Amino acid sequence: MTDRSERLTSVGIDVGTTTTHTVVSRLRVETPPGGVASPEIADREIAFRGPVRETPLLDPETIDVEAVAAHVATDLEAAGVDPAAVDTGAVIVTGETARRENAEPLVHRIAADAGRFVAATAGAELEAVLAGRGSGAATRAAERGETVANVDVGGGTTNAAIFEGRSGDGRGRGGELVGETRCLDVGGRLVRFDGHGRVESISPPAWLLADALELPLEVGDEPDDELLAALAAAMADRVVDLLEGPPFDALTRELAIGELPSEPVSLDGVVFSGGVGRLVGSPPSEPFAYGDLGGPLAAALRDHERVRAWSVREPHEDLRATVVGAGTESTTLSGRTISIEPDLFPIRNVPVADAGDLAGREERALREPLESAVARLRELHDLADLDAVALAIADVGPLEYDRLGVLADALTGAVDPLPPSLPVVVVTRQNCAKALGQLLRRRTDRPLAVLDELRPRGGDYLDVGAPIAGHRSVPVVVKTLAF
Amino acid sequence: MASDSGADADGPEPTADRDAESDVETDRAIADEEALRRIADRTPTRLGVGRAGPRPATDSLLAFRADHAVARDAVRSRVGDELLADLDLVALRTKVDDADQYLARPDLGRELDAASRERLLEKCDLEPAVQLVVSDGLSSTAVEANVPELLPILRDGLAERGISVGTPVFVEFGRVDVMDAIGEELGADCCVILIGERPGLGSAESLSAYLVYGPERGTATSRKSVVSNVHDGGLPPVEAGAELVDLIAETLAAEASGIDLREDDRAFRES
Repeated sequence: MTDRSERLTSVGIDVGTTTTHTVVSRLRVETPPGGVASPEIADREIAFRGPVRETPLLDPETIDVEAVAAHVATDLEAAGVDPAAVDTGAVIVTGETARRENAEPLVHRIAADAGRFVAATAGAELEAVLAGRGSGAATRAAERGETVANVDVGGGTTNAAIFEGRSGDGRGRGGELVGETRCLDVGGRLVRFDGHGRVESISPPAWLLADALELPLEVGDEPDDELLAALAAAMADRVVDLLEGPPFDALTRELAIGELPSEPVSLDGVVFSGGVGRLVGSPPSEPFAYGDLGGPLAAALRDHERVRAWSVREPHEDLRATVVGAGTESTTLSGRTISIEPDLFPIRNVPVADAGDLAGREERALREPLESAVARLRELHDLADLDAVALAIADVGPLEYDRLGVLADALTGAVDPLPPSLPVVVVTRQNCAKALGQLLRRRTDRPLAVLDELRPRGGDYLDVGAPIAGHRSVPVVVKTLAF
Repeated sequence: MASDSGADADGPEPTADRDAESDVETDRAIADEEALRRIADRTPTRLGVGRAGPRPATDSLLAFRADHAVARDAVRSRVGDELLADLDLVALRTKVDDADQYLARPDLGRELDAASRERLLEKCDLEPAVQLVVSDGLSSTAVEANVPELLPILRDGLAERGISVGTPVFVEFGRVDVMDAIGEELGADCCVILIGERPGLGSAESLSAYLVYGPERGTATSRKSVVSNVHDGGLPPVEAGAELVDLIAETLAAEASGIDLREDDRAFRES
């Protein structure tokens, strides 16, 4: 090992409907010699896999925040990781809609305990993508140029991410593009049983399905296998419909989390991950081994005639796909050339406003999108509470000295309404951070950073770590929610 | 792709079996077309250009020859006087007489001729912190394409940091080490040369910036820092200019360049 590589400690924590796990991974950052290529994450090694634990609940709808925090603390200690030494990572909280309600205090608490630089995030879309990166579906898409769906079937939700392995803008690190995500309130824990096979609890999505099928299902019942197989088959139908639509049937639309796509996708392969997903390949011999519908749902998926027609691929990670994805794949690096105030980073929860494509724009037409991006930031956020704000630029136009000077003038004017002490992070897709930084520095004294070769979207949030690779790059986590 | 088992192929006439085999290959090429395009799209290298029998296809042969001609032009053509006037560069030349001698005698490209040495001392500020040198090297095209974008941001950036910059010069038929001679004559703390790189068939416009602290004739290459691959498809010239400002400031502060400056470059020496 030479001086050219360094390591980041990344923590992934997945608090699901059924289970909670922690992984610690070491990301090896390598800076190719010669000063041309950008530093990159060369290797992602999982240093510690915490035990799979039942997610502790106060009642069927409320996660026990204190108990989860205690589990995480125990795991980090077992891993020999000092929370203060954690460089990056993500906390993911998912599950049924009802349980997501106390997600915010939960991620806030865990992020505070697990290290100042763990991105706290929740949301089925991000979980879907991280699971697909963790399971190997994304790599498969990139390596083979295929369109691969990862279907993470867990206790409360089914999260599908579709990866398209083709070249072009917006590629992930391996060359894959996240086509879209599709998420449903369908999972193994929608019905739970006690030790005697009696129904202990039924979640609202299971009510919905049972009602639609006119299946008599009540808490305290001892339903027969036929009824449960019918319910599981109905769930499997929704999962199949989720991948094969549109059109989607009314039940699928009712159970969907977030938007459903308007265009169907032709898939080359499907990977199942997650606690239920991993059983699709080999359902347990005792269907109710887990005290829920996980076994029957996995069997229903395996036996579904449409699933039989799919090209189903083995995952690299099954049960832990999401947490492995959260631990190893949530961090990207900025371009090699950055321009920053020495002590500005790390900063967290920086809201991004997108100024879009500025190529070909001059004068007013150049200032206007920048000014409206700043106006959006002022409108949507309480600036006094923020570490910084970020302006994203998709295309600055030709990378010429005069052009960047004109842009720097427009930017300086546009950020003027912001408080003078509020740091501004300018994020460009093109490699021009140092040049733009130099030109901005000449025009303004406000705290400022320019990061390049990144493309966050408006509405995203950035967590930016302290510079690495000899001050040449910063680790960045792009999040869809801030806490 | 047309199968060509033409009359000029070596050896015996193809057998029926061979024909079958080549059909199989053709099928495979078609089946993987999408994958091949993806791979080819990621690199400017000539991948998947196909062939006509044993020879390159006509269009790829023509493209190759055109690119080769561009590369030769980059070596053979000269930087225009207009550019030197626009950028306000003092024109100098080395002991090299012409392009053929330039290629054959690298040693002559490292030293100024007598008239240029006199002109250097007459026209240029002595003992600057930074002396900037531009040279055609192996690609005049690279100088024409990149220096007009790179030099202004470099000069402005250095001025902003209060770093004194000498009178910039242009050297015709220069090698990288001509900066040692120029820096030594002027007594510069640090010398930077922006020089055209050997053109390849992918780009004839690649420029590098070499930098040396305490220039004197015969300074080892290992004591020089480099920012390379400067062109529109690599490190954009305007960004390279801003990056050089930081590198020069770092060099002056550390009073060192090359492997004496950067830990990560030193690993090279050890490995």
